[in-house]
Order: sequence, then structure tokens, then C-alpha cells
Amino acid sequence: VTLGLALVLSACGGNSGNGGGASGGAKSEVIAISADPLDYINPLNDNSSPGIQVAQAMFAPLVTTDPNTGKTVNVLAESVTPDKTSQTWTIKLKPGNTFQNGQPLTAKDYVDSWNLTAEGSNAWKNNGFFSKVEGYDALNPQTPDGATPKPTAVKTLSGLKLIDDLTFSVKLKVPFSQFGLTLQYTGIAPLPEEVRKNPDAYKRKPIGNGPYKLAGDWKAGDDIKLVKWDGYKGPNAPEADAVTFRFFPNGDTAYNEFLAGTVDFVSVPSTKKKSFKTDAPDGWMTSTSSGANYFVFPSWDPRFKSTKLRHAFSEAIDRTAFANLVGLATPSNGLVSPDMDGYRADACKYCTFDVAKAKQLLQEAGGFSGPLNIYYNTSSATGQIYAEALGNMLRQNLGLDVKYVGKQSSEISALADSRKLDGMRFSGWGHDYPSIEDYLTPMFKSNGDANFAGYSNPALDKLLAEGDAQPDQEQAIKIYQQVEDLALEDMPLIPLYSAQGAYLHSAKIAPRNSKFTGVQPLYSTFK
Amino acid sequence: VTRFVLRRILAAIPIGLIVTLGVFALVFAMPGDPLRELAGDKPIPPSVLAAKRDQFHLNAPFLIQYLLSMKDIFTGHFGTTFSGADIADQLRLRIPVTLKLATTGLFFQWIAGLLFGLYAGFRRNGIIDRMLLLATLVVLAIPGLVLYFAGQYVFGVDLKWLPVSGIADGWPMSYLLPAVCIGITGFAGLARLTRTSIVDAAGADFVKTARAKGLGEQRILWRHVLPNALLPVVTLMGIDFAGIFGGAVLAESIFNLPGLGQFMFQAIKLKEGGVVVLLSTLAFLMFILINLVVDIIYGAIDPRVRNG
Repeated sequence: VTLGLALVLSACGGNSGNGGGASGGAKSEVIAISADPLDYINPLNDNSSPGIQVAQAMFAPLVTTDPNTGKTVNVLAESVTPDKTSQTWTIKLKPGNTFQNGQPLTAKDYVDSWNLTAEGSNAWKNNGFFSKVEGYDALNPQTPDGATPKPTAVKTLSGLKLIDDLTFSVKLKVPFSQFGLTLQYTGIAPLPEEVRKNPDAYKRKPIGNGPYKLAGDWKAGDDIKLVKWDGYKGPNAPEADAVTFRFFPNGDTAYNEFLAGTVDFVSVPSTKKKSFKTDAPDGWMTSTSSGANYFVFPSWDPRFKSTKLRHAFSEAIDRTAFANLVGLATPSNGLVSPDMDGYRADACKYCTFDVAKAKQLLQEAGGFSGPLNIYYNTSSATGQIYAEALGNMLRQNLGLDVKYVGKQSSEISALADSRKLDGMRFSGWGHDYPSIEDYLTPMFKSNGDANFAGYSNPALDKLLAEGDAQPDQEQAIKIYQQVEDLALEDMPLIPLYSAQGAYLHSAKIAPRNSKFTGVQPLYSTFK
Repeated sequence: VTRFVLRRILAAIPIGLIVTLGVFALVFAMPGDPLRELAGDKPIPPSVLAAKRDQFHLNAPFLIQYLLSMKDIFTGHFGTTFSGADIADQLRLRIPVTLKLATTGLFFQWIAGLLFGLYAGFRRNGIIDRMLLLATLVVLAIPGLVLYFAGQYVFGVDLKWLPVSGIADGWPMSYLLPAVCIGITGFAGLARLTRTSIVDAAGADFVKTARAKGLGEQRILWRHVLPNALLPVVTLMGIDFAGIFGGAVLAESIFNLPGLGQFMFQAIKLKEGGVVVLLSTLAFLMFILINLVVDIIYGAIDPRVRNG
């Protein structure tokens, strides 16, 4: 009893403390975001990570990933059920949830919000999410270059069907077994009717349906101050009573604010990778992974056509040394990030550092003609350093003549898109939903969204489609692993390393750090 | 004076057009697709790209894009940036921030520059003069980046005398540290110019004449040396003031002050020709205005350059 009383007393004592720089009660936290301030809050029109991070506090998803098991669990959805082929998905909502304006949250809100986003002429950023849904093309007709896109006569996705107040179904263009996982994306959260009618009027006074709402007016240049919304009845609510997001275009400034004790959470900028453990000896943490990084071949350049040559390049790279140079990085031995269900640590057969074998493979491939151009991003502080490190390995181990070309990253991608890039470049990818499929489809499917190499293999496309049509998740993962094997055999891009994120947090919070969901300051426990 | 002002304003119009057109051309010529820059790593569907290109007139020819931007500026329809920020809102937020930062920064810069310059000029080749020369050299050699972060660390993080960054504490607290930093990095030029000017003026014939007439040293100094020495100094101060209105990009970034400099930086990064032209026009107007003021002050100091 005494112990219990002591705990209660200390908890009360905590309430009066001002704790860090946060305002409000004891359970309040200030999260620093190293980016330009948000200009509006609308999850459907924001795919930037700062925007999504804020939206996650104000909008609840249909489903989410359990941080302990990695399994998908329902939040606002009561059930998400695929048909036998995984082509039509029925989504049933839990009853009794509302928007922050008091209106009940219905299936119609989802269907109408999704239609609004899917209409290409609205130019909303999460439009692409719906490209898998039947009827997307009618809302996004091809516009000839330079022409004015006209609003389409069709305003609704033919694949979306309202069944009753709380149920709707989504018919996809082709079967897709991972669709249920994609529903955890905050970028598809619904907007209430009054916002849908005039989204611009609500840019700075969003109406959410999640655990937090704006604490007051939010003007340009202000921090985003959120308080707990009493009306939220769903699961998965964070512990904090109040959350403030502060924006810092300069990551080093955010770091200094943390050291001064005015923010509770900050991500470590690249300049502090060497010093953050001594700067905050009791308050640092690292995530398992934040995506994977690659070295990309241009498939359109015939000099890189030989598979043996690509394997030779891969085996001439000392990944351990390279990962050390990057810092907080793990050498890759496969194409997917290590925090994925279905990741295999030994997936790659051509990723061990073996100079003799690399030389032999290059010889068998008939050598490499001309200088090897390595393109790097000039606006990244490390671009040139990484390029030269890899270039030196290839030069020393394979005797290649290496040249370095620095350009803006948008310029490099433009060259690659028009198939004019005559050399190798770096790329990285992080998943939008936790499935190894979200690495394989974007990067290796013909015309995939992030097919950096311009790679195409009909056999791989066919295998991917098989995985997509497999309703059993375990089986699907096995098929996707075969896809990964195939991609490694062809090796349109060389796996390099997966980077870890590093973060600092104040003594009063313990941010969630899960292998499956990464580091989430919003889900901090309070001491 | 009115005619002089009118003439100057009329002359400024063609210059303004040339300057803004030149700036717009430079942004236009920058490599890379602005919307792609905005998208980051994630792909944007073609239909969304087409709608955005249309919204911001990115398909129009260069000259049409420029004229549309100018039209928006003069009709006050600023619209939004590529990333969706309301430009009028941004100006309302940022112009006061930049003005506060600029005036506070220049206050320190001018006080330090003039005091050191005057003192060193009058007592040239003394120990203090030599030390000041050395100090200005050191300041000129320190990169702003190093000084700003050092200042932030010492006074914000370590001593906690002043806020680390941001404008939450308002004027003057939020602006003191960046303003002093701007003052330190900027005063050296002014100090050296003031010193040299005074040395030059003090050696001029009219000073010898004044001395020969038997005037007191104080009178010579204040009535004869100073007015003549101050002409180039006033010019430099005017240029400083006009220039700083373009935004102190580095100070704003490190001290997280949402001023015009950061806005300009973002706009250039995203190749937003319209915003860049808008901000250049603002800076240009400020430049013209301040030049006028400088010319009028000139007239007051020195009758020789007084304009009819």
C-alpha cells in the first residue's frame, strides 16, 4: 500500500513539472521535424514524410502494423476481407466513430474522399495510390504534352462500391494480395463532407478523425500544437496529452535545440553521426533500418548488358568498408530492407567481396569498354564522397577508368527517364507499407513506379503477378522471395547498404522503437 | 527634389523590368524539372503532373510565364507556391521578420563599423588601430556558418541566455543573437572603409587650409573631415541596407527565422520562377527606395552633389 501511495504521489508530482520545453501537462512532448514547415494539413494531398507524420496524429488509419508482432491489426476497420482471388476487397468500418466536427464516420466518407483524390485534375499527391483500383484510368486520361488537363466527365472510380453505411468494397484492376497492408497508409484518410466541398478553406484548420486535434489557430510560421481529442474512440491512441511539432529547415539547428532542452525528440543530422552518442549519452536510439540503398545500372546502355559484368561489379565492392564510410549502416545482402517480413540475410549470391572472382567474371563478360561514369547528387553533402569511394573500389579491383559526374538529383532522374544517362547512379527506397512486395514491384516490375534501372523481365512480372494473386500471405512471401532471387540473378541494381536512423530523445519520454514500425516519437511512453 | 525623385522612379522602371526578366531567365535556365524536385523520391502520376504543370503555367513559353508572373504581382493575386503555401500569407509572415532582423543586424553592424572606423581613422597607426585592423581581418576570414553555429551553441545551448532559434520569443530576444552575428560578420568592411576615408580626408588640402587658418582640431574634425569622409560610408551603408532586405539566407536558416531569405532559398531550390521574381521585385523596390534616400542624404552632407 505504501508503495502504491508513493507511486500515486510521484505521479501527481510529475503533473506540476514543466518537463523540457513542452507546453501543457506532464504528458506533453515537442517533436522536432527537420524540414520546412507544413503549408497545409490534408493527408490525401501530402506524401511527404513530415506531412504524413503530422497527419498520423490527427487521422486514424483503417489498419495498422502491430509494433510487437508485425502483423496487421484493425484500427477504424472492423474487417478487411479479400475475395478468393484478392481482387475485390470488402472493408467494414467499426460503428460509432466520428470526425472531429461531430459527424459520424461512414463508408461514404471513404468512397467520396478516395474519388476526389483519384481525380487526376485535382492534382492531389496521393492520387497514385488509387492507380490499382478499377476505373482509375477513366479519371486520369492521358493528357498530350503541354495541354490543359480537362476535368473528366466521370467523377467516381468504378471499382469503389458503397454497400451500406459502414461497408464498401474496392475492386482492383488485377488481383493484389498485399492490398490489405496498403490500407495502413495515412495518406488515404477520409475528409468530412464540408472539407470535401471546399478543401482549400480547410488547409489550416483540418478536421481529423484521429487521437489529436489542433489546439488553436494555426497560422503560417506557427508550430503545430495538438491536444488530445476526447471524441476519439478507436484503438491505437498514443499516450501523450499534447504534442507539438516544431519545424527546422536546418537539421543542425534542430539538434542544437535538443541539446538546449527545448525539444524532446530530434533525428540526428548526417553531420552529427559521429558525435550524437556522446552528446546525449542517455538519450539516443537507432532504428533497425530506414530503407535500402543501391547502385544502379542503366539498362538502356548496351555496355552493361552482360549479367556477368553486373555481378563482377557487385563482387568488386567491399560493402563492409562502404557501410563503415556511410556510418550507421549495414552492408546489404539482398534487395529488401532487413526489417521486412520475408527478408533473408543470405539472399544475394553475388554480394560477397571477392576480387579474384570479380576479375574473372569481368573477363568472361568481355571486359568493360570506355570510362565508367558515376553520377552523384551535388546537393547531397555525401554524394561525391560515396561516388568516389565506390569508384575507387571499381578502379582498383577491376582496373576500370572511372569518371565522376555531379548533377542535381532531379537532373539525374530526368536523364534516366529519357534513357540518356550514360553511367551508374545511386538510389534508395523505403517501403510505404511493410511488405517485401513494396520493394520488388516498384523497382523491378516493368514500368514500376521506381524502376530506376529501366529493367524489364517478363518472367519476373509473371512471378510477381502470381504472388499478388496469392491470398495466403505465407505463400505469397515465398513467391516474392523467388522474385527477389530472379532480380538478384539479373541484378539491374547492386544492393549496397541499409541505413539506420539515429534519434535523440529527452529523459521524460521513451519513443516507440519497433523492428516493424521504426522509431515513432508520437507513440512515446512517459516517465 | 520632387522632380529629382520622379525622374529616378521613372528611370527605375526599365531597369526593374530588365532585372526581373534576367532573374526569371536565370531560374528558367536552371536544370531539372521543378515538379520533380517537389516530388522527392516518390513518383507522381502523369495526370497529376499534367494538372500541376497547367496550374502553374509551366507549359507556357518563357516570355508568357514571365508576363503571367508580373501580372500576378501587380494585380496582387499571388496564389500559392508549388508546395501549396499561400504566398500572401508567407509575405505577411516573412516581411516583418526580415525587417526586424535586418534593422537589428544593421544596428550592430553600423555601430561597430562606425565606432571602430572613426576611432581607428582619427588615431591611425596607434595600437588600437592596429589591433582593430587585425580584428577586422580575423572577422573577414571566419565563415559565417562557423560563427553562427558557435554563437548559437555558446549563448543558446550552453549559457541559455538567448533562444537557440525561432521567433517564438519575439523581438528583441529572438533576434538579438542572429543580429549580433550579422553585425560581427558585416562590420569589418564598414570599419575599414570608414577608417580609410577619414585618413584620406584628413590628408586633404582643405584640412591643411583649415589648420593654417588656425581652426581647432575638434572643429576640423567634425566640420571638415567627417562630412567629406562620410560620403562613401553612407553609400556602403545604403547598399548594405538594401542588400540585407534580400534576406540573410544563412542567418535565417541557422536561427530558423522565417524571413524572405529562406523563402527565396526554397523558391530557387524548387525553381519557382514566379516567387523568385516576386521577391526580386520587392528587393529591387527596396533598393531603389534606399538609393533615393542615400542620394538625398548625400545632398544634405555635400552641397556639391545636391540635385536641382
